[in-house]
Amino acid sequence: MSAPVHARGGPATATRRAVLWVPDWPVAAAMREGGWGADAPAAVLHGRGMVAVSAAARASGVRRGHGKRQAQRACPDLAILPYDEGRDAREFEAVAAAAEEVVAGVEISRPGLLMIPAGGAARFHGSEEALAEALVSAVAEASGHECAVGAADGLLAAIMAARASMLVPEGRSAEFLADAPVESLALAAMERRQREGVEDLVSVLGRLGIATLSQFTALPAGDVLARFGPVGRWAHRIGHGEDVRPPVLRRSEEDIEVGYEFEEPAERVEQLTLVAAESSRRLDEALLEAGVRCSRVRISARTERGDVLERVWRTDVGSRAGAFARHMADRVRWQLEGWLSGTGSGPEPAPLTSLTLTAQEVIALGDEQAYLWGGVSGADARAQRTVERMQSLLGPDAVLAVREQGGRSPRDRVLAAPWGQEAVPARNVAHPWPGRIPDPAPATVLPLPEPMQVLDAGGSPVMVDRRLALSAPPTWVRLQADPGKARAAAARRHPAAGHVGDEPTWGEAQPVEAWAGPWPIAERWWSADASRRAYLQVALHRADGGPALLAAFSGGQWWLEALYD
Amino acid sequence: MLKPQHDVVGGSRAERLAAARLALAAVETRVGTTREAGDRPRLPLTETLEPLLPEGLQRGTVVSVEGSTSLMLALAAGASREGSWAAIVGMPAVGIVAAARRGIDLARLVLVPHPGTQAVEAAGACVDGMDVTLLGPRLALSDQDRRRLAARARERGSVILASGPWAGAHLTLAVERSAWRGLGAGDGRLRERDLTVAVTGRRSGAVRRVRVTLDADATGMRVATGSRVAEEVA
Repeated sequence: MSAPVHARGGPATATRRAVLWVPDWPVAAAMREGGWGADAPAAVLHGRGMVAVSAAARASGVRRGHGKRQAQRACPDLAILPYDEGRDAREFEAVAAAAEEVVAGVEISRPGLLMIPAGGAARFHGSEEALAEALVSAVAEASGHECAVGAADGLLAAIMAARASMLVPEGRSAEFLADAPVESLALAAMERRQREGVEDLVSVLGRLGIATLSQFTALPAGDVLARFGPVGRWAHRIGHGEDVRPPVLRRSEEDIEVGYEFEEPAERVEQLTLVAAESSRRLDEALLEAGVRCSRVRISARTERGDVLERVWRTDVGSRAGAFARHMADRVRWQLEGWLSGTGSGPEPAPLTSLTLTAQEVIALGDEQAYLWGGVSGADARAQRTVERMQSLLGPDAVLAVREQGGRSPRDRVLAAPWGQEAVPARNVAHPWPGRIPDPAPATVLPLPEPMQVLDAGGSPVMVDRRLALSAPPTWVRLQADPGKARAAAARRHPAAGHVGDEPTWGEAQPVEAWAGPWPIAERWWSADASRRAYLQVALHRADGGPALLAAFSGGQWWLEALYD
Repeated sequence: MLKPQHDVVGGSRAERLAAARLALAAVETRVGTTREAGDRPRLPLTETLEPLLPEGLQRGTVVSVEGSTSLMLALAAGASREGSWAAIVGMPAVGIVAAARRGIDLARLVLVPHPGTQAVEAAGACVDGMDVTLLGPRLALSDQDRRRLAARARERGSVILASGPWAGAHLTLAVERSAWRGLGAGDGRLRERDLTVAVTGRRSGAVRRVRVTLDADATGMRVATGSRVAEEVA
């Protein structure tokens, strides 16, 4: 290893590594997924410009950064594909898996770019040329993508070598980099944010008259840091051919999972109890054998109709020995029972044909693990046991864990899920949610809104029109009578009291002391679950003050949403 | 335990007796068998509620709260913030956002909204395992069940906060009057409120009336947000 030794900060390191690069990865992945041939002209559009262009499109004059119109003018039959980072990463798994057939550990720097420590792998295959050949042919055979392989010392040199399909001899990387333009620094930036910073830096360097890496790296490091900050320092080191961090290799490992095929489709709960216990025990054994513990278990089952049901449960049983199998058996049984009876909002209940338990978030035994509530103290373990006891007593769905989630109305802002079950918030709590009902939050939020009446001084209902104007100031409020006071309500159920048919029984009209609103909330107007409401905060005038109310006007009617009690 | 015995083996009879008594007392305090009625351990309480319960929220007691869910949540908040676990049984309508804003840690909060006919078992399990248990107003609990739960709480050192009347509660907090401020005629928003609470202790004779301000938010920043809301509406 011939690393340039730096004056300060100890010896700089530059690992010899091979880089596998698939040209125009986003467009290659998109074309593969869309079923396009490799020679079709295609480009991936993100925002206002093309982020990747296929070889055929480039030949007809489409370039990265072109707008949609400009690209279509250059190549009228260009296929414009949507940008999707998830797809890029997903498709690249096939390439990474193919490369792992050849070498033991790879690092995916970004979709389209793989790092491989060259030393050991090249020795195994005989030479770097043989390694490169093996990689290219393995990737082409297994995934069908063409790729280029290069090797050099240090990150930037290796990436540039791969783009040129070169094997830079050991110790020659600094020369190889010297004449490269400063724009090539952006190739070593792996995240979009970082790349933007580097591109800014490069444009400033261009205006300062610095064109090549050797000119840039000739500048004193301290001055670069003082002028350009951390980005400049990073670029300076990368431009020298150094590595800023060692490669992080991933090892492919089989999932730890156990499966169970029902000999005949299970329809009854009794059939499942033993299966749940048995498969939990086998999962426990498999985990012990691998010397690991997991903090989540994915339970999935296949029904006779072909539906796949899946649910993730947390298994924070701490270090209690032997608790795992029993704990898991309960959860598997509950989940299967739920799927069989179809109480959840899933597909139609149907007999189950197979069951799979997969361990997730696997860690080695003995490694300390951060639990949901921090360490395992006596009180936490006691509370956890209490919850388990209640779940076995009342059923898993009766004991809930709650979280805040995003939303505007008080009801939308709560995410409740059976204790121990993973629930994904529908709305991100970190988003701003403009127009949400201001704090303080109401202490009582009715699970289902109740009808109520908001009346003006003359006793006729107050309405909110399309322009969010109230027809009259609210003066009286009538709530539904307490069902416990049915007898008192029956007396008022006289036609003379204004009750007709199945209408709810109204209580006494109560005078309004103060009110605020209406605050409009129109949500998801584009979808089927659109809602358009106007909210009103009302304080009642009573001898004891009484609670304040949150009322919502929706569909021509007032609803009692919450009580500030 | 062995070491002090070795030290006093050679001492006089009186010294050995004194040492033995000392050891016994140490064991008793550690196990907690002798506890004075007055110096029960306490759960932490939010500062705003200190005038309400100057002696603090004693472990092993039942506090009945009438007329305000916010007050119940506020009573539980101090303990929850300091690491206690809390359970809410039989209150399907409790506002979770309000609970979180009052300081209850949602990671240590367990909800049993509809215990149904097994209210006694659920409440009992919570009293056993959690530090604070909030019980809703319409639970299927007989007076005998309530006495048993109270005895269990005393034994386990947990606190029951019951909504509505509870025969034999150590402390009854009844909200007599609540006054909201911040609302106008179509403008403003609910900002803060004063609760007038009648505190009746089982031991203390007279009823004490205390005024506490919940949701107090001082400062002009809040006023500014209030006016902004009004503008949006207009």
